Amino acid sequence: MRALIAAATGLVLAVVLVVTISALGSPDGKTSPKPLLTTVPSHP
Amino acid sequence: MRRKASLVLLACAVFFAALSPLLRWYAFPRLAKIPANQYQDMVLVAKNATLLDYGTMTAKKVPQVTIVQTLKGNVAAAKRIEKTAGRDVVVWDGLSYVQGPDGKMVSEIPERYIFDAHSQEPVHATGEMVDGDPVARDGIEFKFPFLTEKRDYEYFDAQTRTTNPIHYKGTQTFRGVKVYYFEQTIPWTKVPMPKKLPVQGITAESVAKTGTTRWYTTVRRFWVEPATGAPVYGEEIHKEELRGGTLLGGRAKVTAFAGDVKMREDYIESTVALVKHNRTLVLMLTSYLPWGFLSLGIALLALSLYLEARSRRPADPEQVDSSVPEPVSV
Repeated sequence: MRALIAAATGLVLAVVLVVTISALGSPDGKTSPKPLLTTVPSHP
Repeated sequence: MRRKASLVLLACAVFFAALSPLLRWYAFPRLAKIPANQYQDMVLVAKNATLLDYGTMTAKKVPQVTIVQTLKGNVAAAKRIEKTAGRDVVVWDGLSYVQGPDGKMVSEIPERYIFDAHSQEPVHATGEMVDGDPVARDGIEFKFPFLTEKRDYEYFDAQTRTTNPIHYKGTQTFRGVKVYYFEQTIPWTKVPMPKKLPVQGITAESVAKTGTTRWYTTVRRFWVEPATGAPVYGEEIHKEELRGGTLLGGRAKVTAFAGDVKMREDYIESTVALVKHNRTLVLMLTSYLPWGFLSLGIALLALSLYLEARSRRPADPEQVDSSVPEPVSV
């Protein structure tokens, strides 16, 4: 019984961790102020 | 004590073993996405190209034509579309600016490409366009999906405003990176005149009135890094003609542009470096961490079982005291 509880604890922790990280995601940020180019850049 | 340690190890073993598939099939599809605010530019060159001189309406050989392609993620538009689409969306406002050898503009074509941030599947919303014309893409454009497969994809062609298959033609190595090679051929097709032409006074409408039409064909080639779906190199054998009408002075057709368009060397180098870096991040979630956690889980489980077995082993039998006298039988 104690082994079953230990295994369930490990599983729940893994699910909670992955779901939390996935839900947080990454921030969208802001639109770049750089223009659409109409000149040839000298380097990338 | 051993019993307690084996239980803790068992919990850790299940934790890491469960993380392995969860990372690969739950976290990765949700975390791997194109950032909404991405800004990227690319320079392509066509050396020894043929270009139409609009002054004399004749085709001329020129040393170089340069194409500057910019993609800019529009975060505000993406958020607005996400509300109705119900999924993560990226809106790319792009500009293909073509410059002649004299530094003057040959054409500039803006477009708006809206797609799912995770799958790159096109999303249809107001504002999706090429050169001001509303379009509805059925395929990908610019970038392939994460974990690109060895199969044909539907790829949108901005000139014809149509979606056609782009064929997987094999696996190659490009500058140390394993890539999938894709090729698409667009046969000669009548296409719209660009809204912005290099000569003042000549517009798409005024050309249309002369009866002259614009035709285009291309062979599009991409070398795509499969984990990221990012092309590390691309080129096009691109031809454009003006056909018929009074504008050509009796000629049946004249070449408007012909050239082998290739990425500029410094952009190839920076793209390869960027893709190599991003490839490592994708492989972390799809391969390195899942396999690492699975191995760790198995090792911890083995250790846990070993400790459990040790704790259950019966104790050594007590020694019999031989000094006790045996009863004497009568």
